[in-house]
Amino acid sequence: MTHPFNRRHMLLAGAALAMAAATGSATAQSWPTAPVHIIVGFPAGSSPDTLARLVAEPLAARLGQPVVVENKAGAGGVIGVQQMLLAKDGHTFGATINGPLTTSPRLIKDIGYDVAADITGIALTATSPLVLAVSADNAASTLQDFIAAAKADPGAMTYGSVGQGSGAHLSMELFLDTAGLEMLHVPFTSYAEVTTSIMGAEIDAGFMAPSAAMGHVQAGKMKMLGITSAEPFPQVPDVPVIAGQDGMPADYRAELWNAFIAPAGTDPAVIERLNTEINAILADPTVQERMLAMGWKAEGGSAADLTDRIAADTAVWGRVLDRIAGKQ
Amino acid sequence: MFDGLIQGLATALQPSVLIYSLFGVFLGTFVGVLPGIGAMATISLLLPLTYYISPEAALVMLAGVYYGSQYGGAVASILLRLPGTPQSAVTSLDGYPMARDGRAGLALFTSMLSSFLGSMLGIVVLVMLAGWLAELATKFGAADYAAMMILGLVAASTVGTGNPAKSLAMVVLGLILGCIGTDVNSGVQRLTFGWAELMDGINLVALAMGLFGVSEVIANIRKADRHGPPTKVRFLQMLPTRQELRTIIPPALRGTAIGSFFGALPGTGSTISSFLSYALERRISRRPERFGHGAIEGVAAPEAANNSAAITAFVPTLTLGIPGDPIMALMLGALIIHGIQPGPMMLEARPDMFWGLVVSFGIGNLFLLILNLPLIGIWVSMLRIPFRWLYPAILIFVCLGVYSVRGSTFDLIMVAGIGAVGYLMALARFNPALLLLGFVLGPLIEVNLRRAMLISRGDPMVFLERPIAAVFIIAAAALILLSLWQAVRRGSR
Repeated sequence: MTHPFNRRHMLLAGAALAMAAATGSATAQSWPTAPVHIIVGFPAGSSPDTLARLVAEPLAARLGQPVVVENKAGAGGVIGVQQMLLAKDGHTFGATINGPLTTSPRLIKDIGYDVAADITGIALTATSPLVLAVSADNAASTLQDFIAAAKADPGAMTYGSVGQGSGAHLSMELFLDTAGLEMLHVPFTSYAEVTTSIMGAEIDAGFMAPSAAMGHVQAGKMKMLGITSAEPFPQVPDVPVIAGQDGMPADYRAELWNAFIAPAGTDPAVIERLNTEINAILADPTVQERMLAMGWKAEGGSAADLTDRIAADTAVWGRVLDRIAGKQ
Repeated sequence: MFDGLIQGLATALQPSVLIYSLFGVFLGTFVGVLPGIGAMATISLLLPLTYYISPEAALVMLAGVYYGSQYGGAVASILLRLPGTPQSAVTSLDGYPMARDGRAGLALFTSMLSSFLGSMLGIVVLVMLAGWLAELATKFGAADYAAMMILGLVAASTVGTGNPAKSLAMVVLGLILGCIGTDVNSGVQRLTFGWAELMDGINLVALAMGLFGVSEVIANIRKADRHGPPTKVRFLQMLPTRQELRTIIPPALRGTAIGSFFGALPGTGSTISSFLSYALERRISRRPERFGHGAIEGVAAPEAANNSAAITAFVPTLTLGIPGDPIMALMLGALIIHGIQPGPMMLEARPDMFWGLVVSFGIGNLFLLILNLPLIGIWVSMLRIPFRWLYPAILIFVCLGVYSVRGSTFDLIMVAGIGAVGYLMALARFNPALLLLGFVLGPLIEVNLRRAMLISRGDPMVFLERPIAAVFIIAAAALILLSLWQAVRRGSR
C-alpha cells in the first residue's frame, strides 16, 4: 500500500525549495518562516531583558511566529552581540544596551566584531538619563553648590560608578571635563553598592539611574541635583536638567539606551518590517507606561536614526576615553 | 509590628498566595536536590510567567524557590558528595562521611532540622532587627568589608584537615582563580587570554560542580556496577537520640547567628556563612579531629547558617531596595515588573507585601519541614540505584544546571576540565573546599581592600581608624597569634 501522504510531502518540499530560491523581496513577504530569536546579552530579569521581552511579546502576535528571547549574558553585553553574529539564519537578532556598540570595542581587545561593518540597527527601544545623586546630608543642595564645592578643593571629592568604562563613569568624566572639575573615581560593580556607599558617606556622589535613586530620595536619604537628559525626565520631573546650568553647555547630554540590532547583510526589507512593527509596539501607551515605571522612556525611530546614534555616541565617548587614557 | 503580622497573615493565607507559596517551596527543594540546577536558574525561568499572577503570589513563589533550594541542596551533598548548590558544598565535608558510615538518615534529619531552625530564627531576626541591620549595612564601608573578610579567611582556613602546606596551596589556588576576569579598579583583563567568556570570571556553579560533582563521578567510574552503602531508614531510626540532639542544637544556633548576620550584609552571601560557621565549630570543638570524618556539628552549623542567611538576605532587599546577590536582584526585578518600587519606602507604601512575604516565609518553612521529613527515606533509597545509572543522570543534571546559569557552552567545557583537575586533586588528597573558599573570599577581599585604599588615598590607617574595621583586624591578628602559640606549645611538648 502506498503511503497516502507521499504526494503532499513532495508538494510541500517543492514549495519550500521554491521559497528558498525566491528573490529577496519575495523572502521578505513570506518572512518570518521560522520562530524569531532575540539574543539579549544580560541575564533574565535585568532591565535590558525586561525591555526586550516587553517588545517581544506583542511582536510575536504581529509576526505570526513565536519570538524567543534568549539570554547569553556576560562581558557587559558583548557576548550577546557575538552570539547573534554567529547565527546566520536570518531569524536571529539582538537586543543590547549602548556599551557593546559604542565603548566596548575601545575597551576590549579582540572583541571579535566591527560595529560599523558587522552590525545593522533595527530600532532604538528606549533611553534612560542619569541623575547626579548625593547623600541627603551633603551640604550641596543644587548643582551650583556642588560645582562650587568641587572647584574649591580640586580632587578632594569622590564619586562612584558601576565600573571602568560604564555609562555612569563616562557620563561623570564628561560632566567633570565640561565643568572643569576634578574628582576621584571609585569603581563599584552595581548601583546597589554605589547607593550604599553614598548613603554611608563613604563617597560623595554618583551618576545613577533615576529609578535606582528615587526610593532613597523619597525616604529622605538622598538628593538628586541634576539630570543628564536634554529635557526633564517624566519619572523625576522635578530634577533640573544639567545642560545649560552654571556654565554647562546647552548640548550636554548623556543617556543610556537599549536597541534592537541585526547582523549586517540582513535583507533590508526584513529590517524595515521589524522596524515598523517595533515602532508600532513602542507607540502603545501601556508599553510606554511599563517602560517608564522601570525608568526607561520608549523611543523608536528609523533604523538609520539608530545607526547615526551609534556613530555619534561612539565619537563622544571615544573622546572621553581618550582623555581618561591621557590622564593615566 | 503585631498589626503588621496580622496583615501579613491575611495576605499569605489567601488561597492563591498559599498555593503559589507551596508550589515555590516544593519546586525549590526539587531543584536544590538536583546538582547544579539552582534557585537562580529556576527563578529566571519563572520570572516571565509572573507577569500573569498577582505580585504577592509572584514574590511569595519566587522566595519559596530560593529558600526551598537551600533545604534540598544538602541532600545530594550528604548522600553522594555532590552538592546541589555551592552553599551546601561545606555540608558534604562531614555529611558524606556520615552517609558512608550508614548514618545517612541521621545526617539528612540533622540537615533538615538545622535548616528549619535556621530559617525560623532567621525570620525572627528579620522581624525584630530588620531596621537595625539595614542601618548597619549602610554603615559598613569598604575598609570594614575588607577587614571582615580577612578575619573570615583567617578563621576559615582551618576548615581543612591534614597537611597544612597542601591546605595553603589550595587556598592560594582559589585566590588566583578568583583573580580571573575584569579588574574592577582598572578595567584591565586578568588571565582571560582574550576570551570574552572569562571577562566576568569563572562561573561559581561550574567551579563547585566540577570540583565536587564531576570529580566524584570520575572517581566512581571503576565501581560502575556497585551502588551506595545499603542503608535502610525507618522513621524512628533516623531520629536523633537525646545525646545527638544536644550536639545538633548549639551548633545550629551558632550557625544561625553567623548566617543571619552575613545574610543581611549585601554582597557577602550564604556560601561564606556556611564556611565560617563550619570553621567556628571546628575551632571551638573539644575534639576537632572528628571533623571531616562525620562530625554531626559539621552538618548542623553550615545548614543552619545558609538557611538563615537566605532569609535575612531579604533585609537589605526589602528595607533598602539594595539587592545583596544576583538572586535578590531578580526578586527586585519581579517587584519592578509589577510596578512596585522597592526601597526604603516599600514598608510604608505596601505593608501588605512586606508582611505577607514575611509570614509566607514561616508557612513555607513549616511546609518544607513536613515535606522533607518523609522524603528522607526516598532520598536515601536513591543510593540503591546502581552507579552506572545514577552517575550518567547526575552528569546530565550538572550540565543542565551549569548551562542554565548564563546559557554558555564555554562553561560546559569548563566544568568538564575542572572536574578532571578536581579528580587529580582528590587523588593527591588536596581539599577542594579550601579552593572554593579562596575563590569566594579572594575577590571580595581584594576589591574592598583596594577600594578602601583608593578612598583613603593610600593611607592604610583607615583599617584601624574605622571602629568596625579595627575590631575585625584585631580579632584576625589575635586568631593568628593564638594559632601560632598553640603550634609552638604543641611543638615544645
